[in-house]
Amino acid sequence: MNVHVSTLDEKTRSSLAIESHSETEEYFINMGPQHPSTHGVLRLILKLDGETVREVIPVLGYIHRSIEKISEYSTYRQIVHLTDRMDYLSAIMNNWAVARTVEKAAEIETNERIESIRTIVSELERIHSHQLGWGVLGMDMGAFTPFLYGFRDREMITDILEETIGARLTMNYIQPGGVMFDIHPDFVRKVKEYLAYFKPKLDEYEDLLSGNPILQQRLRNVGIMDAETALSMGATGPVLRASRVPYDLRKIEPYGMYGEVEFRVAIGTAGDCWDRYYVRIEEMRQSMRIIEQLIDNIPEGKFLLKKPAAKLTIPEGRHYSQIETARGVLGFYIVSEGKETPYRAYFRTPNFHNLWSLTAMAPGGRVGDLVAIISSLDLVIPDIDR
Amino acid sequence: MGFVNFESAKESSMDFGGLPVEVVEAPRGAPSNTVLGTLPNIRKVLFSLFKGMSITLRYLLHPSTVVTQQYPENRNELKMFDRYRARLKFTYNEAREHHCTGCLICEMVCPNASIIIHNRKGPVTGKKEIDHFLWRWDICTFCNACVVACPHNALEMTGNFESAVYDRRLLIYNLNAYAGPPANALKKIEDPEERKKAMEARDVYCEFTPMAGASLPGIAPLAEKKEQD
Repeated sequence: MNVHVSTLDEKTRSSLAIESHSETEEYFINMGPQHPSTHGVLRLILKLDGETVREVIPVLGYIHRSIEKISEYSTYRQIVHLTDRMDYLSAIMNNWAVARTVEKAAEIETNERIESIRTIVSELERIHSHQLGWGVLGMDMGAFTPFLYGFRDREMITDILEETIGARLTMNYIQPGGVMFDIHPDFVRKVKEYLAYFKPKLDEYEDLLSGNPILQQRLRNVGIMDAETALSMGATGPVLRASRVPYDLRKIEPYGMYGEVEFRVAIGTAGDCWDRYYVRIEEMRQSMRIIEQLIDNIPEGKFLLKKPAAKLTIPEGRHYSQIETARGVLGFYIVSEGKETPYRAYFRTPNFHNLWSLTAMAPGGRVGDLVAIISSLDLVIPDIDR
Repeated sequence: MGFVNFESAKESSMDFGGLPVEVVEAPRGAPSNTVLGTLPNIRKVLFSLFKGMSITLRYLLHPSTVVTQQYPENRNELKMFDRYRARLKFTYNEAREHHCTGCLICEMVCPNASIIIHNRKGPVTGKKEIDHFLWRWDICTFCNACVVACPHNALEMTGNFESAVYDRRLLIYNLNAYAGPPANALKKIEDPEERKKAMEARDVYCEFTPMAGASLPGIAPLAEKKEQD
């Protein structure tokens, strides 16, 4: 079987060969890899007609660290800490994806305490990830203040997590068979305090940025993606939900304690930037609801059921499991030969798939709209390249 | 607020592949296009702009809401959390005796080989004991695997996060204060003279750490390098 992989050169040449429908000359321009609104080292080759974007060709690989290849030489416990470095804003949830796959494959059991701790810290992290996304979107749109406000509130969550976990970004918290530390004695009190603090602050977010008519006009009907395109592009998370597809793994295929709590899935109607923006705001609200229901009754029990130095092998075969991170579905696929290390490991990362929906949304819009679209996708570049 | 009525978020139930999913819809709104709508449009815009501005103004007028920490200045008051993971250290008992037996588990679980252990045969006990415990702060990922895996609780992570130095080799440490058997093995040696003989003092930078590295090929020892500068 021959598989033809088109090179960047071929892609740009074929894009050049397409008949232009205007009388002006079209040209190419690079956005990135150092452009501030690409949120990292992402390079976009834009085919422009005046200021109208005709085509977007994303170029990846600037921050590739071969995490999948390193995983082939790491034990299953060591893989967990590598996932911190993929989507660094949902590090705990990335850990969970590995832990869940390994637990499912090796039939390691967990107790209710472990699952509720995992759920609570994951939801906290989802909130702080969306706070950062909110602030950065404001900054990309030309408002610097929301960025600081988002970081101020995010700082408090990182402090809470830091007290329990001991790290601020690269958590390495959820392990196969439990969590690394028990929750700190102050954890419950601080989380409750934070929820009481953040609820009015979320209304402030609405007044500050959501209610701003300039932002509303800038995001409304920009980068529209219908449900079919979103599904065919493999988009997940808030990007897919904004296109009116209520697909949320927490509801569809409940894991952790999500099956036992009440929450609503935030969806959009048109699938434009505004919907993607507002779905995140609404998800923060729903996350707070989830934490509120769980925080008061964390069951007693052990926090780590498997000794961290014990040998951990997975039966021969192929194992896959996925969870919903702040940006979409993160899947972890293992081909095992029954050894301590996987034969092949693959991460199905949400940002990689969300990125390609850009190629469907951006054409026809302006360069300024493109910035809004990238921002509303809330991309984390290390997760694309991994 | 603005052109969107945030109270209009609709809660409903949707069907997803036969599974009912409770959803909440994001509110939407657009400015009016009619001539009559112009004035309400202007009113909405002005009102929400002032509302947004009033928030920033309130924070400006209330300095108590400032949360910024002045980092290098507050160094004396700055206290990291107990569990903060930055610098790896040995745990010692009151007599400054460590608990490391040289079992190599931490070296095994370390994902990127930032722990290198050299063992030796003890001059007094005749058994295997720790000689050098090298830890590379420059490549450590602070995953905490070594601390959790250690069966003797000989390691701990501490909150000293200030690692900036001018030479990378300065970040390679010899963690053990002495080469010798752990605390519970020392207890069995009754003669204090013998015990003293069993413990051989070690510096932070000694022998295998590159800082003692006059022997490193192509790299000038730090003392010489300073003179060159």
